[in-house]
Amino acid sequence: MRPRDVRVCVLRIEGTNCEQEAYQAFADLGAQPEIVHLKQLTGAAPERMRRNLEDYHALMFPGGFSAGDYVRAGAVLAARVKSALSKNLVPFIESGKPVLGVCNGFQALVELGMLPGFGGPMAAAPEAALGTNDSGRFECRPTFLKNENKGKCAFTATIPHGGVIMCPSAHAEGKFILPIEQERELLKRLEDSDQIVFRYVNPEGKRAGHPWNPNGSLDDIAGICSAQGNVMGMMPHPERVFTRYTHPDWTRNFVGPRGDGMAIFESILEYVAHRF
Amino acid sequence: MSKKDHRFVYPRQVGFPVADLKLQGASDEELALLSKESGTGLSVDELKRIIEYFEKKGRDPTDMELQALGQAWSEHCCYKSSKVFLKEFVFGIDTPDVIDRGDAGVMSFDGEHAYALRVESHNHPSAVEPYGGAATGIGGIVRDVLCMGAQPVALVDPLFFGPLDFPQEKMPQGVKHPNYLMRGVVGGISDYGNRIGIPTISGGVWFDSDYLGNCLVNVGCVGIARKEHLLRNRVGGVGDVLVLAGGYTGRDGIHGVTFASAVLTETSESESRGAVQLGDPITKEPLIHACLEAAARGLVRGMKDLGGGGLSCVVGEIAFAAGLGALVHLERVPLKEEGLAPWEIWVSESQERMMLAVDKNRLREVLDIFQLYDVPATPIGEVVAEPVVKVLYKNINVLEMDLDFLTGGPLYCRPLAERAVPTPGGETLPKEPEDYEKALMQMLAHPNVASREWVIRLYDHEVRGSTVVKPLHGVPGHSSHGDAAVLRPVHDSWRGLAIATASDPWRTSLDPFNGGCGIIDEACRNLAAVGARPHSLTDCLNFGNPENPEVLWTFKESVRGIGKVAGDLRMPIPSGNVSFYNEYHDRAIHPTPVVLGCGIVSDARKCVTSDLKRSGDSLYLLGPAHSHMGGSLYYRLHNGEGAVPGVDTALLASCIEALVRSIEAGHVEACHDVSDGGLAVALAEMCIGGQIGAEIDITALGDARTDLKLFCEGNTRWLVEVRQDREEHLRQLCAGLPLHRIGTVRGSAVDIKDGDDIITAKVSEAEDAWKGTLWRLLG
Repeated sequence: MRPRDVRVCVLRIEGTNCEQEAYQAFADLGAQPEIVHLKQLTGAAPERMRRNLEDYHALMFPGGFSAGDYVRAGAVLAARVKSALSKNLVPFIESGKPVLGVCNGFQALVELGMLPGFGGPMAAAPEAALGTNDSGRFECRPTFLKNENKGKCAFTATIPHGGVIMCPSAHAEGKFILPIEQERELLKRLEDSDQIVFRYVNPEGKRAGHPWNPNGSLDDIAGICSAQGNVMGMMPHPERVFTRYTHPDWTRNFVGPRGDGMAIFESILEYVAHRF
Repeated sequence: MSKKDHRFVYPRQVGFPVADLKLQGASDEELALLSKESGTGLSVDELKRIIEYFEKKGRDPTDMELQALGQAWSEHCCYKSSKVFLKEFVFGIDTPDVIDRGDAGVMSFDGEHAYALRVESHNHPSAVEPYGGAATGIGGIVRDVLCMGAQPVALVDPLFFGPLDFPQEKMPQGVKHPNYLMRGVVGGISDYGNRIGIPTISGGVWFDSDYLGNCLVNVGCVGIARKEHLLRNRVGGVGDVLVLAGGYTGRDGIHGVTFASAVLTETSESESRGAVQLGDPITKEPLIHACLEAAARGLVRGMKDLGGGGLSCVVGEIAFAAGLGALVHLERVPLKEEGLAPWEIWVSESQERMMLAVDKNRLREVLDIFQLYDVPATPIGEVVAEPVVKVLYKNINVLEMDLDFLTGGPLYCRPLAERAVPTPGGETLPKEPEDYEKALMQMLAHPNVASREWVIRLYDHEVRGSTVVKPLHGVPGHSSHGDAAVLRPVHDSWRGLAIATASDPWRTSLDPFNGGCGIIDEACRNLAAVGARPHSLTDCLNFGNPENPEVLWTFKESVRGIGKVAGDLRMPIPSGNVSFYNEYHDRAIHPTPVVLGCGIVSDARKCVTSDLKRSGDSLYLLGPAHSHMGGSLYYRLHNGEGAVPGVDTALLASCIEALVRSIEAGHVEACHDVSDGGLAVALAEMCIGGQIGAEIDITALGDARTDLKLFCEGNTRWLVEVRQDREEHLRQLCAGLPLHRIGTVRGSAVDIKDGDDIITAKVSEAEDAWKGTLWRLLG
């Protein structure tokens, strides 16, 4: 399959609000994205608007505040997806198709039990959490991510191992945590199975605490993937740095028009094109 | 009102609360009491005009009709005290790029696209309930842009509070502490703006004890639309269905506009808490999608938002704007709770509601769109030929008025009282500082200058992925303030839309005309500093009680100043807002006009930011070497008095053109406008953002006293960083303009000489002083 034939479903409900720029990122690479309301996938929309998840090659949960995030961020979206779409989503994941969650999308994937995914493609209960930032504040700031993945993750194939990308964060609940009684063990398991994708670092690539880790995440974790590598969640927003001209320092540090976030979307298309 | 036992009120026995008002023969005192008890805020003369109208009709008004008139004729809705001046000084500024002057102004952006802009106030609600007041302020301004058919793309929030460290025990009775207000307001904006996914990219926070009793919360929004999708705020024709879309209607926000049109007192909280609406961003977010989708598919003939005055204002205005009328079945309005009286439904300002005029043959398609997004949309009435609004509640006629009467609120030429302004020559110079470094550090740490990072990082300024120049820019981790933010609103184009905010209550307070001129200069300076050509303005004019002749004169003079500079620059003001009655008891706020300026960047990839870029570059001051200093931060801190600087509009226009051309040609590495704290503060901010020092010598600026050269806030001035091999190009483009080479980017200190060494401050120390203040005051 060619990258331009890849059909991407960008999922929307009320309050997801980064779908347009996510759509645009895929569209600019020549793929076939579509913004699809959850109701269009679950049969709750008027008939002519309905869509089938299996008709898409990739699924993206964009950022935002789905359903307002008035309970744990992503929880309501996850509950709706789980109740109405599990039967389509589980085979979608099992077939190896990529699912990306950014920011609120990452929160939803964790709430769905799809990440870390210790217990299969969709665990019965969440296995981790994205807690309130240590600062207690919403933080919109530049963050730098080191690619820690050794090759499992389908979303970072075009970023060198150990490479640092700039990717801005904007969230109030992004602190990745694991059940405290199994924290070390599960963290090791994530490491061992190459599920850690990104860690927050400073611009020099060193781990450096707040503000470079904007939320106090365990072990500076910014993004993880499933054991199979085809489901990834990350708090920072690659779609916001698709071009260099939306980097926070492009007027002083210009290295060409390509933004650091583009690699994630390219990797998805390459992965799908190669595999399907 | 109908519940009150009042000798004029005759409740009808119809099974729901509605009453006729028999007002003939009422004394002036009784009418005044009726106005107060009904919460309508109508004056005795206005009530007499209403009585006369209904006498001619041969019947008594209903309580609902009186309420509707109270909304429509409020200062907030009909601009009865301000319109005469706005007409004289600003409405006439026109260019071919003005497309519409509706709830938001609409300007041409490029061949296919237009942008919509508006700023308004949400002052009184925010003073009583800061979180909800500010959040619903955002909600309201977003709807103003949305109802033009435009996708909101930017939010702007200029805020004014009392001093954050004001002693609690000295707070006026019934007034909330500025620290509490600011946290609430910023929290409300953050939680609402972030949830609806519109970046907050510009604004400002000003502190002064004048705002202790009456804080100001202004909210601005800019949107973008394809020109063929633009909508008018009027119905299409007879038979159009009126569809009420969005949130349910409840008792929140009753009498919001009349609350906004009265002075705050210590009982405002208990009496007017119910006037503050409740925001719901998660109804708003899909409402935006649904409205825009319906508009883009050509299914909407006209759209208008429900803001002040609720249904009572929107139904009349959307129909009357097309010379038509409307029939409404009020019981069809979906309610939050049972038991609302018809008049409450009619005037409720419940949030997240839009009115769409839809061709009845396309109604199903529109309702399907709203259904997909789970947004309620309900046909509640239709458009009729006769210019009358008629409301039935359960088939009983509860309101019927001619629209030219209902929307024809009074216009006043209230009395003015001129007062003296400081004139050149009457200068009282402050004592020259012994320690200039200390004076600079004091200014950098001053709450009106210090870093706004505490606020800015709470706002998502990057959602939508098109913020090219952000409110904070520079070396990551050390970024400093930009002058204007720049968006790339049309994805397949690099044409940029720059947005800047300006206000200067101190100068406006001393000299409203020159203060008004100065804020337009500042907005233009900010836009030009990033490489944008100033294109349009929208203003929010916050003043005290217009029935006070001196307040009204101040208003008139400010508007005259704004109109003068905007007119000379041919910058139209296609929308705006006036907020009067910003007083606590009899103490008016500083006259506070706020402007939001929009500029066009021909190629956003050419924009520059304020952070210094590299060692060895030259620094220039573009603009006059010095000017008057009345109202400047330096004079305020050190008890100087003097005239407020004026604006030379020809020089301003020439400097803008020269600067923008220099930026477009790539000659400029960094640029910052000179404003609060003057040259010294501007330079320090540029050093902080770039994490590099600068050495300047201000002898080039003439032989005035050092402090006056260093801290002057005169208009039309910029600090410009230029690579040495481009200096000659800059000089050529600025030929004939005041351009002074003052120094070089170098080292790690802010190093200032006036012949002798004046200041040598490490950039890191300047950064600490500048960054710490708001964190220290707010935690």
